Amino acid sequence: MNWTSFLEFTRGPLFYAALLIFIAGMVYRLVRVIALGWARDRVKSRGSKLGGAVRSLLKGFLIWPFIPWVKNTFSRSPLIYVAGGLFHLGLFVVIFLGAAHMLVWKSLLGFGWPTLPLPIVDWLAVVAIAAMIVLFINRLVHPVLKLISGPAEWLNLVFVFLPMISGYILTHHLFFRYETAYSLHMLAVDWLLIWIPLSRISHFMFYFFAKAIHGAQFGKRAVAP
Amino acid sequence: MTTQAPTNGSGRSPTVPALQTFVKETGGWVASQLEACTRCGICAEACHFYQATGNPEYAPVWKIELLRRAYEQRFTIGGRLRLAAGLAKPISDADLAHWSTLVYEACTMCNKCAIACPMGIQIGPLIHEVRSAMSEAGVVPPELMAAVNKQMAEGSPLGMTDSVWDSRLEWVADEWEEEIPRDVQGADTLVVFSSIEVMKFPGNVAAIAKIMNAAGEKWTVSSEAREIVNFGFYEGNEHRTVEILKRVFDGAVALGVKRIVVTECGHAYDALRWTAANLMDVPVGIEVTHIAGVLGDFVRQGRIKLKAGAFDNDGVITFHDACKIQRRGGHINEPREILKILAPNAFKEMSPNREQAICCCGGGVIAIKEADPQRYAVFQMKVDQARKVGAQTVTMTCSNCRLQFTDGVAHFGLDLKVTGLAQMVADALVE
Ligand code: HEM
Ligand code: SF4
Ligand code: SF4
Repeated sequence: MNWTSFLEFTRGPLFYAALLIFIAGMVYRLVRVIALGWARDRVKSRGSKLGGAVRSLLKGFLIWPFIPWVKNTFSRSPLIYVAGGLFHLGLFVVIFLGAAHMLVWKSLLGFGWPTLPLPIVDWLAVVAIAAMIVLFINRLVHPVLKLISGPAEWLNLVFVFLPMISGYILTHHLFFRYETAYSLHMLAVDWLLIWIPLSRISHFMFYFFAKAIHGAQFGKRAVAP
Repeated sequence: MTTQAPTNGSGRSPTVPALQTFVKETGGWVASQLEACTRCGICAEACHFYQATGNPEYAPVWKIELLRRAYEQRFTIGGRLRLAAGLAKPISDADLAHWSTLVYEACTMCNKCAIACPMGIQIGPLIHEVRSAMSEAGVVPPELMAAVNKQMAEGSPLGMTDSVWDSRLEWVADEWEEEIPRDVQGADTLVVFSSIEVMKFPGNVAAIAKIMNAAGEKWTVSSEAREIVNFGFYEGNEHRTVEILKRVFDGAVALGVKRIVVTECGHAYDALRWTAANLMDVPVGIEVTHIAGVLGDFVRQGRIKLKAGAFDNDGVITFHDACKIQRRGGHINEPREILKILAPNAFKEMSPNREQAICCCGGGVIAIKEADPQRYAVFQMKVDQARKVGAQTVTMTCSNCRLQFTDGVAHFGLDLKVTGLAQMVADALVE
């Protein structure tokens, strides 16, 4: 098998299979958690649970969770806020606002959208890659992170790192022939898609639950979430 | 710090009942929050125990580690596979003993971690679930268990028995010359004190009585429902929590009151106001509220009049937010409105404050001697905040915090006056 046909395989059948596993896996995770049952809250509210939940989601989502809303939290863990925020920012811009990826979305969804110029996307990708390295090192040295990190936490970072770095190599024609670099990038992407439902990277789905619960609990007591 | 904890004496490994409790409690509410955690460690910096000691085991996320392990190993495919393949550790008796000290001696359920967590995970309430499992397994610090048993047997962890209650109330009524209506059928409001107030801050009892009388409230205390403290809730034992709650509700129903006013105990307010309805059938038509809210209402409605600026000449006064009454109780504004009347110039806020305030470390751990080192270390941070605004007096709405402050001030030999908001209000009443 040569690289060209391997590329056809990784961006064709393997990609669709991985996508299917990703979707089925995430749906399974969602259903599993919801099916565990939700006890009705019979406590009388003082404030508004809905209002609190909406506020909490707006606060966390429109402006992103990496804003340190609580006094003194930023100065105590600036690395996680800055590197974590830049990593997610870069990741989202690359996935949704990079021209090449938009075309993938277009082929999947049937419609496209305007994208950012390549140099901007490119820089944010570099920033994201650097931020991931910083996060990795921080996890190695920070006593709390060392304590709470198991193999899965290390692998999460590695498996998100691989598509990012291979994508960068691909756009800049570094080290490998085009087909080789492209195949490696697709392989990393396919694997990430399979890995997400098996891991904690699924946090982006449960984020909405946790934030809503948080808002409801604080709103119920008429306290700003 | 000890890692030794008693077993439940049944000869059975404590992990079995602990795991059963974990599984029972793992509804979507718990699961979705555990799933959302990215293990970023930000919550560590929010916890006063970690801030004061730097011990990584005090990171809030680490305190719920057993709950996470139990959940993953029971409910997720990945967790089950890892357990089967020997890649994940099952929960052992030694783990329970170790986490027992973490969740009882290094957490005050203040829930500050929840507002710092970027995912908004309610780690405080989740730690309460871990305590439930510890309680089911019988792995509770002996000192706490002794106090719980005392409350179950005598009605109060501080030994406020029938005769003590009688003589104490009579003495307070005499000493402060304040009428305290007892067991009045058909009163509107049942005030339930905490034994900390009755035994250690009787002036607070007198102050609340004076305010109730001045406001013309038809109120009463009950000799049946006389203790608001709920050590079953503190322990995390659902059965005992409900039994103690029932004593209060039964007393209220027997007198036919319309509302229960919880006085100065944070855990008690959490149990009665925010938890009871989900654990038991609470009597309909009886409102539960906190004295801090009542004081605010009285002032807003003009039912009591306060001398403006009454406390403006005794140096800077600051307000300590009690976690369970302000951040987790919602009575954040009322004390401030009152202080702006009593001391418009002398009142200064500590930083951070309101829902972001840090705990004084009284809440619960004050009952466990083993926790003294971390308790004093945290208290020092709180005192530093008060010092920063130049406070000479610190006031609050929780007698448990007040116990911590009086104890801490004496321990460090500080020159800081500790008082309660109700007492200030009572002293500033204009007839
Ligand atoms: C709604 C969307 C998302 C939200 C709100 C979110 C939020 C967070 C937060 C708050 C953290 C912890 C802070 C940190 O360590 O940087 C985190 C970590 C992480 N996120 Fe996300 N995230 C989202 C989507 C994603 C996606 C789509 C991916 C990857 C495909 C991802 C990958 C990661 C990784 C690998 C970490 C761990 C970083 C580390 O180990 O330090 N996230 N996320
Ligand atoms: S701050 Fe929240 S998401 Fe981060 S480790 Fe703590 S509990 Fe998990
Ligand atoms: S509830 Fe308070 S004491 Fe407990 S872990 Fe969270 S911040 Fe620490």
